Amino acid sequence: MKINTTRFGEIDVPKEEFILMKGSILGFERLSRFVLLIKDDKTPLWWLQAVDDPAVAFAVINPRTINRDYNPPFYESDLEFLDIKNKDDAALLAIVTIRSQPFRVTVNLRAPLLINAANRMANQIILDDPAYHVQYDVRDYRVDFQTAMTGEAKGVERLAKQASAPPT
Amino acid sequence: MLILTRKLGEAINIGGEIKVIILDMKGSSVRIGVEAPRNITVHRSEIYELIHEQNRQAAMMPEITLAEIMGHLQKEG
Repeated sequence: MKINTTRFGEIDVPKEEFILMKGSILGFERLSRFVLLIKDDKTPLWWLQAVDDPAVAFAVINPRTINRDYNPPFYESDLEFLDIKNKDDAALLAIVTIRSQPFRVTVNLRAPLLINAANRMANQIILDDPAYHVQYDVRDYRVDFQTAMTGEAKGVERLAKQASAPPT
Repeated sequence: MLILTRKLGEAINIGGEIKVIILDMKGSSVRIGVEAPRNITVHRSEIYELIHEQNRQAAMMPEITLAEIMGHLQKEG
């Protein structure tokens, strides 16, 4: 399906690759269809482009590339909501905020996107533990490319395999 | 705004599926139980608003390419 985007122009992504928000990204309730765009296996930042609003694209990252030990507890209800039956199907992506002046990159580890890699249903979940920062500063960042792609997280790995590349 | 007075252990129903119960009162704090269907998310208002605002900021990406971002990060890292 052809999708209009502000950032990438017109892109063509098969419907099977859509990620469907069964819940919502808070504040973006009207947007339920997204596509994951992954440039290459050397770029840990990915795009989550809204299908129905050309201007909305979030930068997202596998949170385990930021913190290898990131393994927050899920509520059973969060898993059930997305019909996640196998923990390996649970993929987490964290939304990245980039500010230009001054340049600052933060990652929201408190409210990650939980995605069922098997049926591609997604939701933004909020973790109870305030130890997970809403603005986790990415400063001293050395990219572990292997982790970037798989993050030792099978769900993310599976998700990454069904993603398109953005036009360069 | 609808305002109701409730005693400990009493509850209110919102629509047919949501029930809010007053569980405990201590000083200026009130413990509240919420029964709601799974598709209704329940959060403290302040965290909800915080995430809301963070998402809004994240959507306002400056005109910058991923390569430029990575360049910045690796230079600083």
